[in-house]
Amino acid sequence: MKHYEVEILDAKTREKLCFLDKVEPQATIAEIKNLFTKTHPQWYPARQSLRLDPKGKSLKDEDVLQKLPVGTTATLYFRDLGAQISWVTVFLTEYAGPLFIYLLFYFRVPFIYGHKYDFTSSRHSVVHLACICHSFHYVKRLLETLFVHRFSHGTMPLRNIFKNCTYYWGFAAWMAYYINHPLYTPPTYGAQQVKLALAIFVICQLGNFSIHMALRDLRPAGSKTRKIPYPTKNPFTWLFLLVSCPNYTYEVGSWIGFAIMTQCLPVALFSLVGFTQMTIWAKGKHRSYLKEFRDYPPLRMPIVPFLL
Amino acid sequence: MAAAAAAAATKGNGGGGGRAGPSEGSGTRKKKGPGPLATAYLVIYNVVMTAGWLVIAVGLVRAYLAKGSYHSLYYSIEKPLKFFQTGALLEVLHCAIGIVPSSVVLTSFQVMSRVFLIWAVTHSVKEVQTEDSVLLFVTAWTVTEIIRYSFYTFSLLNHLPYLIKWARYTLFIVLYPMGVSGELLTIYAALPFVRQAGLYSISLPNKYNFSFDYYAFLILIMISYIPLFPQLYFHMIHQRRKVLSRSEEHKKFE
Repeated sequence: MKHYEVEILDAKTREKLCFLDKVEPQATIAEIKNLFTKTHPQWYPARQSLRLDPKGKSLKDEDVLQKLPVGTTATLYFRDLGAQISWVTVFLTEYAGPLFIYLLFYFRVPFIYGHKYDFTSSRHSVVHLACICHSFHYVKRLLETLFVHRFSHGTMPLRNIFKNCTYYWGFAAWMAYYINHPLYTPPTYGAQQVKLALAIFVICQLGNFSIHMALRDLRPAGSKTRKIPYPTKNPFTWLFLLVSCPNYTYEVGSWIGFAIMTQCLPVALFSLVGFTQMTIWAKGKHRSYLKEFRDYPPLRMPIVPFLL
Repeated sequence: MAAAAAAAATKGNGGGGGRAGPSEGSGTRKKKGPGPLATAYLVIYNVVMTAGWLVIAVGLVRAYLAKGSYHSLYYSIEKPLKFFQTGALLEVLHCAIGIVPSSVVLTSFQVMSRVFLIWAVTHSVKEVQTEDSVLLFVTAWTVTEIIRYSFYTFSLLNHLPYLIKWARYTLFIVLYPMGVSGELLTIYAALPFVRQAGLYSISLPNKYNFSFDYYAFLILIMISYIPLFPQLYFHMIHQRRKVLSRSEEHKKFE
């Protein structure tokens, strides 16, 4: 069995960073990353991007050395992805914030509204309902992060946590401020509007959860396989017939429901911003599906049936 | 920020020449550039803009000579200023459709900040129009834009006189702080009138459970200059060193 030699160069400066000899042909990129960390401990594997070409795409951890288009002396280029943080950590932090922050406003903790309102309770039933819905939404997200989702990547760049938390926490505070305000005005069409909104919200929350479970079942524990998602016996998953990312569709639906329920402009703006971001993600996912699977169902749109 | 941003970030509105603005880490120097039709359009655009700002410059000078003082010159150039500065919104479109290699986000930011100052501050708060700070930023913008648009024009035609390149990458050293001061002083002057009139503000209670305090918003804008201005300024200084030293090298081989 012939051993490989692997030299690792800095992608920007072409400086020789590491030379590994006697590397097994069946060694994976993940194993090479581990070897590289030994000589450069500050670059733990999660922050290494190794590629065949300095400007090329990153090699995957599962790629096998022997199967790559390299000679027995392989040259790999290294790029530092920067400090990394695990997806789970980011998700838990960004979701715990809104849950907690909203409740601060709901209970009218001092220094938010005038002192005469400290720890008072709103006289509008919709405000209590909104708190339940908002809290439920984020508790659901936290539980899904811990028990449902199977992540493709372990980590993301550290700076993302600041960006993401600012977004989630900021919007949560902004929305909560108005909904729980002593001068809050309940919806124009009263109980009818709230009932309709609640129905939309609940249906979309169930839908979103169904999709998350369906996606989880597509992928065995610990694996990173990708398969085309299909509708299952659960009617909520039938949306897969029409869109690639029904989880995003349902998510937007939930927030639209919440916006109608509270008749609060900041909620509508949050929904809009979220929709924009999710559309970008959905289009990307849709494109990857199309690229990876020849037989991808042609009727499907990324996020909005028939339209977007 | 409007003064600083405009001179700094765009590589745009033209190809060739020294590129100011965030380089996208391009190792390969493959400048595709706009096609011939796009180039013709861009040349016309940049010529028109250069002319427009020259009109504003001339208008300022003539008004000064006529009045004998530099106070309240805003009124004499109000219309062309609004027209040509607002017209710069097209530059966002140019980036979006790809005929100019700048970032849409960066260009939007700088044009919007100018448009904001013109419409949401100076136009909206009439009491501010007689302030000298308005002349300060208008002058800074005018000189900057005349140089910037002629720079792009010449770059597109591949005939960039060193003087213009030098001017673009040197005069900002004075023009930026000048413009930023004018802008900040103008916003500051507008504050009491905004507060008094409750301009662009909405308070609770209302049907959509929303409130907006324009006064507080303007203060936030002023504060945002603190982190933003030094970044843009030092970026331009860095670009200056890169661009002008490269030119020196080229001159050596002539």
